[in-house]
Amino acid sequence: MLVMTAAAVLIVSVGTGPAVAQEQIVPVADLLTAPARYDGAVITIEGELVGDYGYRASGMVWTQLNDDSYARDPLVDGGALTGANAGVGLRIPEVQMAGLSAPGGYRIRGPIVRATGQWRFHDPSRQGETYLDVSSVQVIELGKQLEEGPNGAAAITGVILVLAGGAMMMRRRYLRARA
Amino acid sequence: MLIRPIGSDFRTIGFYLGRVFLVVAASGLFPLAWSIAGREWGPFSSFLLMIGVFVVLGAAMALAGRDEQRLDWGHGMVVVAVTWLAVPLIGSIPFMLSGHFASPLDAYFDAMSGLSTTGLSLVQDLDHLAPSLNFWRHLLHFLGGQGIVIAVLVLVAGGGAMTLYYGEGRDDHILPSVRSTARFIWVVAVAHLVFGVLALGAVAYFVLGFGWIRSLFHGLMIFFAGFDTGGFAPQSTSVGYYHSAVFEFIVSILMVAGAMSFAVHFALWRGPRRSLIRNLEARTIIGTFIFTMTLVLFGLAAMNAFGDIAGLSRQGFFQVLSAHTGTGFATVPPTEMVRWSGLAFAGMAIAMGLGGMASSTAGGIKSMRVGLTATSMRHEIQSILLPHGAIVDRSYFQFRNKQLTPALARSVLTMSLLYITLYIAGAVIALAYGVPLQQALFESVSAGANVGLSVGVTDPSMPILLEITYIIQMWLGRLEFIAAFALIGFLYSMVRGK
Repeated sequence: MLVMTAAAVLIVSVGTGPAVAQEQIVPVADLLTAPARYDGAVITIEGELVGDYGYRASGMVWTQLNDDSYARDPLVDGGALTGANAGVGLRIPEVQMAGLSAPGGYRIRGPIVRATGQWRFHDPSRQGETYLDVSSVQVIELGKQLEEGPNGAAAITGVILVLAGGAMMMRRRYLRARA
Repeated sequence: MLIRPIGSDFRTIGFYLGRVFLVVAASGLFPLAWSIAGREWGPFSSFLLMIGVFVVLGAAMALAGRDEQRLDWGHGMVVVAVTWLAVPLIGSIPFMLSGHFASPLDAYFDAMSGLSTTGLSLVQDLDHLAPSLNFWRHLLHFLGGQGIVIAVLVLVAGGGAMTLYYGEGRDDHILPSVRSTARFIWVVAVAHLVFGVLALGAVAYFVLGFGWIRSLFHGLMIFFAGFDTGGFAPQSTSVGYYHSAVFEFIVSILMVAGAMSFAVHFALWRGPRRSLIRNLEARTIIGTFIFTMTLVLFGLAAMNAFGDIAGLSRQGFFQVLSAHTGTGFATVPPTEMVRWSGLAFAGMAIAMGLGGMASSTAGGIKSMRVGLTATSMRHEIQSILLPHGAIVDRSYFQFRNKQLTPALARSVLTMSLLYITLYIAGAVIALAYGVPLQQALFESVSAGANVGLSVGVTDPSMPILLEITYIIQMWLGRLEFIAAFALIGFLYSMVRGK
């Protein structure tokens, strides 16, 4: 009986979008594979802010949140290749942006945040766009600068090859001039 | 009797191939400069190596080659076919060394996808990729879309220009000489570059609220991928990243401009503009766009994919335009597009398979061939219905009245069938790996028609044979088979010739 009740509760919570608990952290992969399931629900997602902060005249900021493995272990920092990025768009009120470091990109691991808001799937007010309409942002970890040094062997080989190619072209020009 | 190629054949081919390599090496200076400006020393090293390989190979071939012999048709085709295999190979060096690809084959896949203006990608963690590497990915679109060989014609034109020009799947005779035509194509590209980057950059800065450097960066990347109907994007969520109808509108203009033949560009610039609407090709592409758009809209409406007409129209229009122009931008993720079934799937697949105009940067069967095939069918039906001996008017209008001869009809039909065979072959191989039919067809058409939209089959974990299949499809689709067949014939004659 207890098992059946638990199963019924599970079915209800999975089957109806708005019933999704507010503080439940939803993986972005779930949002991408079953976006309609969460439509209209207040959800929380956690991950790295990447790309740009687009400050619009409306007082809203658009950005992207990724919760793939690179958010925690960037490739430049020795992280493993685990596939493509997994991200969703966020619309955040400008007042919520205080204290956020630069978004992630090359040599920048963006801030890891926990964003709570209403999931809008094919939002009619934005002609079918899908995004999280964020009401609160909590910074879990500030962003950080990463380092990537030169590849000395590649650079030296490249220079030698360019010089060799240049010498060959000069030789050709010389031979043509002599002919 | 097959004639075995001799040393002079190889030296002639090598000489022109060397010139192409030197031009590509010169174009590699742009991302190199970018990496210096951005202090991106990892990518800087890899660009230096790539340029070095291009230079040394180009110089060696030029030194060993010979330019006294005029490039004939067969040699020219072999040069083009090998160019489109070798340039991605060397051009993938920065990708291989970036650490963003699981294998050299994945890096080659992306370089081929970039050069063939396809847009399918196996890059991992794109959102942290160095800007100079992102620039190189998009510059490959530009080089491929405008035609590397055309760049060679403009910069170092020599004998055999016509052959190289045709080899890249172009047949526009806009101006009296191929070289002046090539120059016009680059003028059109540069004019659009200025307009496109400024327009996209302005929207990114004033509407989207990006910083001005990032606005120009996004503008440049999206311009390259949009105008050259490529489909790469600087962020992992493609054009959906921007969340802006205005931005999508400008991207749409660039996609349409990229899918137009340069003869149409020429007519728009210098006239006669009024005859454009009478052109068989223009009428065909407008007709097929409306047809596929209708299919997709009805399909999406039947699925109740979007709650209202505004969302349905904006999202449906953009995806169909992207598919029909062979661009491959998307505002919905692959995980969503994979669920587009029935008419929506059919509309997208047909739009991708048909492609843009002839001699444009778009791939696919091309509107001219679709229009001529339909016209030929109409003529055949007319000749059956009309009394015996009645004369059927076999003309069509394309800037002027032309005759649709049986030889032309045969050639057009053959080419169309080759594309359909290419699409089916790719789908069959994906099916063999257990990919569902709809997804197998979608991805195969996308690769063969150089579109770049994906429903998730193209993935770093995909089987190697399927990956190689898509690489071959991208290569064949971009070269429109002829140059590839010439290369196969050349290789065969090396073995079996006398």
